[in-house]
Formats: sequence, C-alpha cells, structure tokens
Amino acid sequence: MNAPGLSFEQAPPFSVPLRFFLTAPWFLVLAAALLLWEGPGIFASRWLPAALALTHLFVLGFMAHVMLGALLQILPVVVGVTVPRPGLTATLIHLPLTLGTLALAGAFLGGGPIGFQIASGLLSLGFGVALAAFHLAVWRAPVVTDTVIALRCALGALLITVILGLLLGGYFGWGRLSLPILSLTNLHAAWGLAGWTTLLVAGVAYQVVPMFQMTLPYSQRLSQWFAPLMVALLIAESVLILADWKAMAIWVGAALAVGLSIFAIKTLILLNRRQRKIGDPTLIYWRVSMVSLLASAALWLLTPLVPGWAQAPHLEWLIGIMLIFGFAIAVINGMLYKIVPFLAWFHLQAQLLGQRKPPNMKRLLPETHIRQQFLAYLTALLLLLTAALYPAWFLYPAALALGITGAWLGINLFSVWRIYRRTLREDR
Amino acid sequence: MNAPDMVVDGRGLEPPEPMERVVAALDVLQPGQRIRFLIHRQPYPLYDLLSRYHYRYETAPLAEGGFEVLISASS
Repeated sequence: MNAPGLSFEQAPPFSVPLRFFLTAPWFLVLAAALLLWEGPGIFASRWLPAALALTHLFVLGFMAHVMLGALLQILPVVVGVTVPRPGLTATLIHLPLTLGTLALAGAFLGGGPIGFQIASGLLSLGFGVALAAFHLAVWRAPVVTDTVIALRCALGALLITVILGLLLGGYFGWGRLSLPILSLTNLHAAWGLAGWTTLLVAGVAYQVVPMFQMTLPYSQRLSQWFAPLMVALLIAESVLILADWKAMAIWVGAALAVGLSIFAIKTLILLNRRQRKIGDPTLIYWRVSMVSLLASAALWLLTPLVPGWAQAPHLEWLIGIMLIFGFAIAVINGMLYKIVPFLAWFHLQAQLLGQRKPPNMKRLLPETHIRQQFLAYLTALLLLLTAALYPAWFLYPAALALGITGAWLGINLFSVWRIYRRTLREDR
Repeated sequence: MNAPDMVVDGRGLEPPEPMERVVAALDVLQPGQRIRFLIHRQPYPLYDLLSRYHYRYETAPLAEGGFEVLISASS
C-alpha cells in the first residue's frame, strides 16, 4: 500500500530550484559591498535608508531566494501536491524577485519614488505568483502533517509580510497614503522574521533534523502547536500595536520571544542527544543558528527591562544581526549544503541509472570545503556583532568577512553544478 | 524458480546511503526477483526514481516501525 494521495513522481527539474540557490549567495557579496561603500556610519540607526537596503539584501536577496526556491522543490514531496508548470512558475518568481530586490535596495539608496514604484511592481509580481502557487498547494494537501500545518502558517505570515511591505513601498513610491509608518515597519519585520522565516524553518526542521542529524523526532505537542500559537501571538501583537496599547504589546512581544526560545532550546536538546557520534558538517550550522535565535530572543526579552537599553540603537542592531545573519542565514547556509549536492546526485542517478554510477555526494561537495566556508561564516558573524558595538574599528573587517563567506558559498554551490554538468556531458 | 528476495536494510543510515544501496541492488536484480527494502521513513525520492524506470513497488508499514518496500521489475 502506498501513502494516500502523495504524488512522488513529480520532482521538478534541477534547474527549477537551482537558479534560486546559485543567485542567493551573491546578494551576501552585494551586502558586503554596500557595507564597505557606506562605512561605519551605517550602524548609527536601523532606520537609515542604507541600513534598510542592507536588511533587504539579506532577507530578500539571500533568504527569500533560497526559501522560495526550496519550497518549489519540497512541496511535491512533503505536501504531496505539485506546483503546475514548475519551469514557468520558477521564472515568474525568480526573475522579478532578483530584479525587485536590486530595485528596492537602489530605491533606499537614493532611487527616489520611481525606484520604490518599480520595486513594488516587481516584488508584487514575484511574491504574488509564489503566494498563489504555494497557498494553492498547501491548502489542498491530501494529508495534513505537522509540517503542512507549519507551512500553512509560514505562508500565511508571508502573505501578511508582503502586504505590509507593499503598503510601505506604496507609501514611499506614491506617498498619497496616510499610514503609521513606524508601527507598520515593526510589524512587517515581526511577521517576516518571527512568522514566515521561523515557521518555515520549524516546518522543515520537523523533517530534516531527525532525517539528517539522526535525532529523535520533535515532540508532537511542539510540532503541532508551535506554528499556530506563534501566528495567534503575531495577530494579537498586530492588533495591540495598531490600537496603540503599548503596555500589552510588550507582553505579547515577550510571549513571542519565549516561543522562539522554546523552539531553539528544543532543537538544541535534540541535537545534543543525537544517536550518531560522527559530526555531520552541517550540524554546526544548526547549532550556531539555534544559539543565535536563543540569544536574540533573550536580548529582545531583556530590552524593556534594562533601563536605557530600549533607546540604544546598537541593541536593535545586535538583535537584528543575530536573527537574520546568525539564525536564518546560518540554517539556510547549512541546509543548502544538504539540498544542492543531494539534488545533483539524485538527478544524475535518475539519468544514469543502469549505465554508470554518479559521483557520490562527498565527491560532489567535499566536507573540507563546507568546514572551511563555515569558519569564514562564523568569522563574519562575530565581526558583524562586534561591528555593531564598535563600528569604527570593526566595520571594514566585518564587511570583508561577509563578502568572503558569501562568495565562498556561491563558489561551493557552483562547483556542484559544474560537476553535474560535466558528468552528464561525459555520458554523451 | 525465481531467485530469492534480496534484502536491503537502510534503517538508521544517513541519506542518501539507503537509496545508494537500493540502486546498487537494482543493477543486479534478476527477472522475477524482488528487493525487500527496509527503511525507517517513507523514501519519497526513491519512488520517483523507480517509477521513472518502470519498476513496480509496494510499500507496507512494518510492525516494529518503519516501512518495507517490495520492488520488482515490471513484466
């Protein structure tokens, strides 16, 4: 008997997710170039236009590229529903997302209203296609697993993040709307990071942490309730912030931070009790990611309690760097090292079956390359955190380290694709 | 008489090692012979591969947890 309704025969072509994965690392290099160009002044406030450009190079250029590309790949397997016309859908998401990210960063850096108009148009097209395709898939899932629940919540949060982002883009592009800009920006960030990003990571973690790190599964109580509770808290937080009930909003914000901490602690415990002794090279990425998530949640909790912290701009930077670069980018970087060599191996295997053995995964991407790039990543993370405190001394080394780790990741992934192409050519 | 079933036990191995072992077994599969593949979770990518090459497969849950996939060449 096969599991009901799951259609396994529909893995999309390698080019569908690969284009997203090969583009993403170069946005880290662009972010590094922006830091070098702007200099230490960028850390004066997270509200500076250059800071907002930098943030979006990270969250749209790197994170959203990989997250949307990976969803195109995993939905058929995890949810059992295929995305129609995967090649066309991928192009209609990837191209506007890449151009829209560049346009948005350019708009923040002085492109003026026309820049925001172009960016809003491109990003609404890319995200519109992605949201339509992915929501259609996850709400038709024949079997509702905990991962499907988390994906529905994550994609719901993405919808709200995008709507808020387009409202803000519309404000800067057309300027005729009267909007509470500060509140909307904070909610846009909260839905994007504590909603879309965290819940997608959680939904994927329920599957890949036990599978690749050889751990016990997450407890069902956590995997069933974590995502819906986080969404409920985000809705409450949004209502309270828009109604200007600040005291209550701080408490709900604290509950969100506790939620993030619980997921991080639970994952760290599972990783510590793993059944296999030999460390997988991506294990360290999961550990750094979860420690960063925990640290950013702790800082977030402490901020309203410690006098003076709430006004300190470098504290917001520390939380932001830990959440975006420490938590999200680490775990995505680590997972890329599982996804890309596996897909290359799988597609080679599928095309060469019965003729030749494809190179194994460790030959497609040697572990030493992964470990070396991890050291560059860790250096960049520590330097960025230090630069938030002492920008004059550490900004340039941090920017260089960021550029190196981004380019290194890009080269590592590109080399897998090169071996893939070469192996197929040898066949002809 | 058909050759006896080949048993491939992929339980507890890190992906994609179970799949590599099944693919190696497919290479030496005799007509009429079957592969009994034991695995701790549903091997979705393998199904994709098997159906592309027109192998027949049937999956059943094992009493002790995990799954047994019976693979044979389609006649």
